[in-house]
Amino acid sequence: MRALIIDDSAVMRKVIERALRQSGLDLTEVVQASNGEEALEILRTDTTSPTKIGLIISDINMPVMDGLQFLEAKRDQQLAVGVPVVMITTEGSEPFVLRAIAAGAQGYICKPFTAEQVKARVVPLIEAA
Amino acid sequence: MTAWQTSQLDWIGRLDSAVSEVFGMMLERDCSPADITGAIAPCISARILFSGAIRGECVLFASESVAQATAEALLGTPSEPGDPMTGDAIGELCNMIAGGWKSKLGSDEAGCAISPPTIGTHDSEMDLNLEDGFRRFYRFECHVFGVHMNF
Repeated sequence: MRALIIDDSAVMRKVIERALRQSGLDLTEVVQASNGEEALEILRTDTTSPTKIGLIISDINMPVMDGLQFLEAKRDQQLAVGVPVVMITTEGSEPFVLRAIAAGAQGYICKPFTAEQVKARVVPLIEAA
Repeated sequence: MTAWQTSQLDWIGRLDSAVSEVFGMMLERDCSPADITGAIAPCISARILFSGAIRGECVLFASESVAQATAEALLGTPSEPGDPMTGDAIGELCNMIAGGWKSKLGSDEAGCAISPPTIGTHDSEMDLNLEDGFRRFYRFECHVFGVHMNF
C-alpha cells in the first residue's frame, strides 16, 4: 500500500512516516506533499502507478491550501474516493476536526501523539476500507 | 496570594504538564523544569501567537546545539549543524506545547487561536525582548531550553 502524507513541516512528515512504518502496515511507498494543492496534484496524476494510494494523512493548518480546503476539493473533484483520510491536528482544535469530519475525514490524531496512537487510529480504517 | 499570582501559578503548572507530555509522547524523553539562571546565547527561537479569547505569545528558545539535539530526538536520526530541520523541529515542538497548554484552559479561554510558528536565530537571548510574562527552563537528558509566555 502507498500512503500520502500532507504537512507543511518536513519534520512532521518524517515523524508521521516513521510512526506509520512502525504500525506494521505493509507500506511500499510514502508520498509527501507540503500543502493541499500539491496533494491534489499528486492524486490527479496518480493513475499510472500499479499500487494506488490507500491512505491519506493530512495536517489541518497549512499555507497555500489547508487540510479542510483539500478535503473539500478532493470531494468535489472525486479524487481518491473511498481512501481513508486521517487528519493530524494540534490539541485544542476540535472545531476544525468536526469540520474536517463533515468534509470527509474518517478520523483524526491530536499532536502530540505516540506511534501506538497512530497505529490504533489508522489500522482499523485500512482494514475497513 | 493575589488572583493574578494564582492564575500565573496555574498557567505555569499547565505549561510544565504540556512540555512533559510533548517530550514524553513525541521524543520518548523525560523533561522537567530546571532551576537555572543566566541567559542562553546564541539561540534559536520559535514564536507562537495566541489571539481571540487570550492574546499573547509562547516562545521556545534553545542554544543551537540543544536545538539540534532536540531535532535528533524528535526525528530519531542524526542532524547536521545548520540543518533547516532543526528550526522546523523547534517550531513543531513550540506549536505542540502551545496547543497542549491551550487545551488545558477553561472552555471560554480555549476559544483562542494559535498562529503558525515563526523561527528566528539570535546572537543572544536578550535579542528576543522577553521582558514581561513568565519564563521557565526545562531539562531533558543534559539539555536545557527555555519557554517564555506573555499575556
